[in-house]
Amino acid sequence: MDVIKVERLSKEFRIPHEKRDTLFAALTGLMRPSSYETFAALKDVSFSVEEGEMFGVIGQNGSGKSTLLKILSRIILPTSGSVEVKKPVTPFLELGVGFQYDFSALENIRMYGTIMGLSPREIDNRIEEILKFAGLERFRDVKLKNFSSGMQVRLAFSTAVQTNPQILLLDEVLAVGDLDFQKKCYDVIEHFKREGVTIVFVSHDLESVKKHCSRTLLLDHGNPVMIGKTSDVVDRYLKGV
Amino acid sequence: MDTDHFKDLYNHRNLIWAIAWGDFKWRYKNSVLGYFWSLLEPLVMFVILYVVFSNLMKVQVEYYQLFLLLGIIMWNFFVKATNLGLTAIVGKPSLIQKIYFPREILVISACLTAMLQSLFESLIFIVFMVALQIPLSWNLLYLPLILAMFFILTLGTALAISALNVYYRDIQFIWAVVLQAGFFITPILYPLCIFPTAMQEIFRLNPIGQIIVISRDCILYSNAPFPLSLAYAGVASGLILVIGYIIFLKLEPRFAEEM
Repeated sequence: MDVIKVERLSKEFRIPHEKRDTLFAALTGLMRPSSYETFAALKDVSFSVEEGEMFGVIGQNGSGKSTLLKILSRIILPTSGSVEVKKPVTPFLELGVGFQYDFSALENIRMYGTIMGLSPREIDNRIEEILKFAGLERFRDVKLKNFSSGMQVRLAFSTAVQTNPQILLLDEVLAVGDLDFQKKCYDVIEHFKREGVTIVFVSHDLESVKKHCSRTLLLDHGNPVMIGKTSDVVDRYLKGV
Repeated sequence: MDTDHFKDLYNHRNLIWAIAWGDFKWRYKNSVLGYFWSLLEPLVMFVILYVVFSNLMKVQVEYYQLFLLLGIIMWNFFVKATNLGLTAIVGKPSLIQKIYFPREILVISACLTAMLQSLFESLIFIVFMVALQIPLSWNLLYLPLILAMFFILTLGTALAISALNVYYRDIQFIWAVVLQAGFFITPILYPLCIFPTAMQEIFRLNPIGQIIVISRDCILYSNAPFPLSLAYAGVASGLILVIGYIIFLKLEPRFAEEM
């Protein structure tokens, strides 16, 4: 069964020549039509992802990968085309969304867990596990601003993976942390795969895309260049698009 | 408006309270005395206005201290909630651009944070009430209904301006002027009876004024509210929420791109 079905998806951003971001400018500009250029971030992209599949998306910077994930997570709307997502989506576009640096690790786990959709009871039950996975048991009452960036990321990732995702959108988040932690992260992903979680994985790390994804989409300046078996798509990407 | 959206909102109900409480704590995090400092502003306002207006006012108002204090606390709630609402969306770009949840959660939370602050301010009012031995009556039972109307009205206003502020960043300056004017055209300092009858009728169109007048009647003067005033305040509040919410839902889909 397809859980994600994207058909003829296009996204254009408007880049106005003069930004009218005040009521004053909007009123004084009423007589003159506003001029803008459009930037096509995605052009006529179609693909579908099956339940339980790990689907890769690769391409150079600015090829539209992140825009695609944002549309799948409903953060932005497509300009045209249809997007059907049949199960709840857990986006990991950035880790530690909503972290408050004046609060302790514990308080931030509660907040971040709630943002990621956990109930207070689920958080209570998992809080020890989260701290242990992050290796931060001794720092539970330390304010986040005193954490190193690595510690913050570990805390965020450990909390986020507790969310029982059904569809997981991963954007490059594993590029951080030391080797040990990266290995832990991939273990979690393997675990999710075994549980039948559908994963869309955006990465520049072609080796891990090859290792984990069955099929991959290659984007170039918003154009879908190729969709197919990961090894073929990666070869095509390496040859140059 | 589809039902999915409301289902989504319901599924995120924990988040509403978490953000509101987190914000409230954060505001006073830096000092234990923080909570008490927050009382200073309304207290100073109250003392100054009391000294000036109790001498200036030609009409005698029974319990003028409490009359004034209640007006100030209620108006302050509206000011705080709408000001927090103004920055509820534009002040949290990472939440808007990196994750999805129904955006109105941020505005509802802002109003709840303001409500927590106002409940705290009401403690002064209760102390005064006890000290002055104000007789209580069954009419106090109207209070939850009246406050619910007030919350609905405030939320509707906050929803509209929070969304507009994403597109037009000068809304916040316009809003400051509106609030300033509102303070004087709402019966906070004075009772409506200082005006000629015709003018009173115009003033009565202001639903916030109505809500403050009704609250004073119930709390201070043991009067039941006029059914017509109550109905007007209820209908106006409901309308403001519906209009505010429609504006919000219309503008919401492009928040992430406009920020």
